[in-house]
Amino acid sequence: MNPIRYCQIFLLTLCLILTSLPLSARVTTAKPNTFATVEDEKFAFGKVDLDLLSEIKLLDERFEKEGVVFHEKNLDAYLNRVGTAVVADKKLENVEWKFRALRDPVPNAFALPNGSIYINTGLLALLDDENQLAAVIAHEITHVSERHTYERNRSLRKIMLTMNIINTIGNWNPIGGPAGLAISLIASVSPFMLAISVLGYSKDQEKEADLEGLKAAAAAGFVPDGMPNSFKAMQTDVEGEQMNSFYSDHPKLQERVNYTTSSIGADARKLTEDEAKTAKSDYLTVMELADRHDVELAINEGRFRSAVYVSQKLVNLHPDSSENVFYLAESYRMLGPRNAELTDQQRTSGAKKKAAKTRSKRTLEEQDAELLKTPEGEAAWKANSEKSETLFLRSLELNRFNASAHRGLGMLYERLNRKQEAAGEYAKYLELAPNAIDTERVRRRLAVLRESMN
Amino acid sequence: MRLQVRFVFVILCCAFVHHSAAKTEAQYLNPKILEKKVTIRSAALLPAKVEITKESAKGSEMMVAESADISSSVMEAVSYTLQQKKINVVANRFEPASMDDSRKYQLADIQTRYDALLPKLVKKSKDVKNARFTLGDEVMLLNVHKDADVLVFIRGQGRMFTKGKTAFSIINIFDLDFPFATITVGIVDARSGEVLAFTKPMSASKVLKDKKALNKMIEKSFKKFPATAAQ
Repeated sequence: MNPIRYCQIFLLTLCLILTSLPLSARVTTAKPNTFATVEDEKFAFGKVDLDLLSEIKLLDERFEKEGVVFHEKNLDAYLNRVGTAVVADKKLENVEWKFRALRDPVPNAFALPNGSIYINTGLLALLDDENQLAAVIAHEITHVSERHTYERNRSLRKIMLTMNIINTIGNWNPIGGPAGLAISLIASVSPFMLAISVLGYSKDQEKEADLEGLKAAAAAGFVPDGMPNSFKAMQTDVEGEQMNSFYSDHPKLQERVNYTTSSIGADARKLTEDEAKTAKSDYLTVMELADRHDVELAINEGRFRSAVYVSQKLVNLHPDSSENVFYLAESYRMLGPRNAELTDQQRTSGAKKKAAKTRSKRTLEEQDAELLKTPEGEAAWKANSEKSETLFLRSLELNRFNASAHRGLGMLYERLNRKQEAAGEYAKYLELAPNAIDTERVRRRLAVLRESMN
Repeated sequence: MRLQVRFVFVILCCAFVHHSAAKTEAQYLNPKILEKKVTIRSAALLPAKVEITKESAKGSEMMVAESADISSSVMEAVSYTLQQKKINVVANRFEPASMDDSRKYQLADIQTRYDALLPKLVKKSKDVKNARFTLGDEVMLLNVHKDADVLVFIRGQGRMFTKGKTAFSIINIFDLDFPFATITVGIVDARSGEVLAFTKPMSASKVLKDKKALNKMIEKSFKKFPATAAQ
């Protein structure tokens, strides 16, 4: 046979083998046990896994050092109690269970393979009861106990190596004709195919974590409905961010609600209406401080609708709390010319894409200025500022020594160009909180105001 | 013939990379600096965040400890450069061990604010000249040294290649996949939060290993920045 022909056949075969390699990595085997103990665990740590583990441990320490982890005594104890109940007494090699809240207003949770489970304050604020929290934790625990991160890392390494080889063959393919064309074609489409295989693999792991997590939470005594209900809570798209990406042509969260609901037996324990109310109230009471902190974070990151949503939840829980009313007032003040709830039009995929584009291009100040030029923006600002003022005054009615409410009111009046009143509120704030962390900031604002009034 | 053309293209690419991409500096100054409306006598450096990854043929790996080390080196280099410009660098009050939770949170929040602004700063750096960007007076919550006129935010990314990855990048030179280090330095008014200066030097990844090269890169990136003594 012609040597060029040999070469063609060899390269084509190699390309086909390499392309099929990562796809085979997607095949997952059914695992009967949720948590393997040290004794019966089949996972053998290789050098690659141990290297990853040591980096992860350093990363974990860094989260603490950089102030990303939220610590509050009661919350820490609560998360630990729920997490420990789900884990039960199972022990795993190279795993030390830790359950912590992450200072991030985006609703999310994740697990590091060393056993550190992080739940964002944004998600804690979105959930409604302990059963939902247990479900989220159980889901993350499954990722750790099933060693998903290590498996994915191993798989990704194979995929990347394959991609590099295919890419090289494609770039330096010296063969013409149909075989050469086939090789070039495989090389050019392989990154796309491989990317899809990576995402698909992750989806399999997610499903496994959902179903195994559900079993684990139920085994620990939590109501199984917590799992689908946690997904339903996550479907609350307060900021208009949930968009379908190229690989998913169906609502992913709805799919998760469906398969977890159908996996719950008809005889499974369910909460009565009264029990559900009590569970919600108990959960929100434990979360009160974390939720307030989340409102601050949401405001800092420009997630004003989330801030309104969470602080409204706080006010509904304790309507006579001056602090909670203050947070709602502050959220409305910061909401500025935006409407508190997304309209149907703003929930469309096109509108979400447009909003995401605007967010990436414009600063918050620019977005505010643009919105204020529209009649809708102007009307929203009028309504929000009035609501904010009413709430600040209500907060002071509930506690006249609430210094923060004076500061917030001062900032609102300053924005409304009611300088005299703004200066008065700032002065009251400084009087009530002379050693507060932002004294210098308020003093500076007051000085600028007084200068402009003269 | 086809291979010969590729070979020539490779040589040209190498020459281009060596000559122009090896060291690129871009500096953008707020008119307040240029018109000397603001005088910077003292600066407080916030903890740098430089993330480097090890790229092998099997993908990228985190280098958490190395990232922390290089972050310190970049901070030293920026500090040195500012001092060369006769700007006093106030003592670092952001050692994790010396901060309680609430101070850690304040620092993290200000860093987050800057990180949210950074993509816009990088994309539209020229707008620093139009005084477009600000972090707001929330920066005052940090309560840095009273004398500090500005806060300095340092960010960076770097890729270090293993031998295997280097081989692949040479073979697939048309993919233009090279090791690099890019650092951004944002200088922000400590009271108003306005971005006064922004630099984004880019270099080959050797600066991650060579302190002298790193110092040189940072120094060059502050070339247009006026020295305080001259004002």
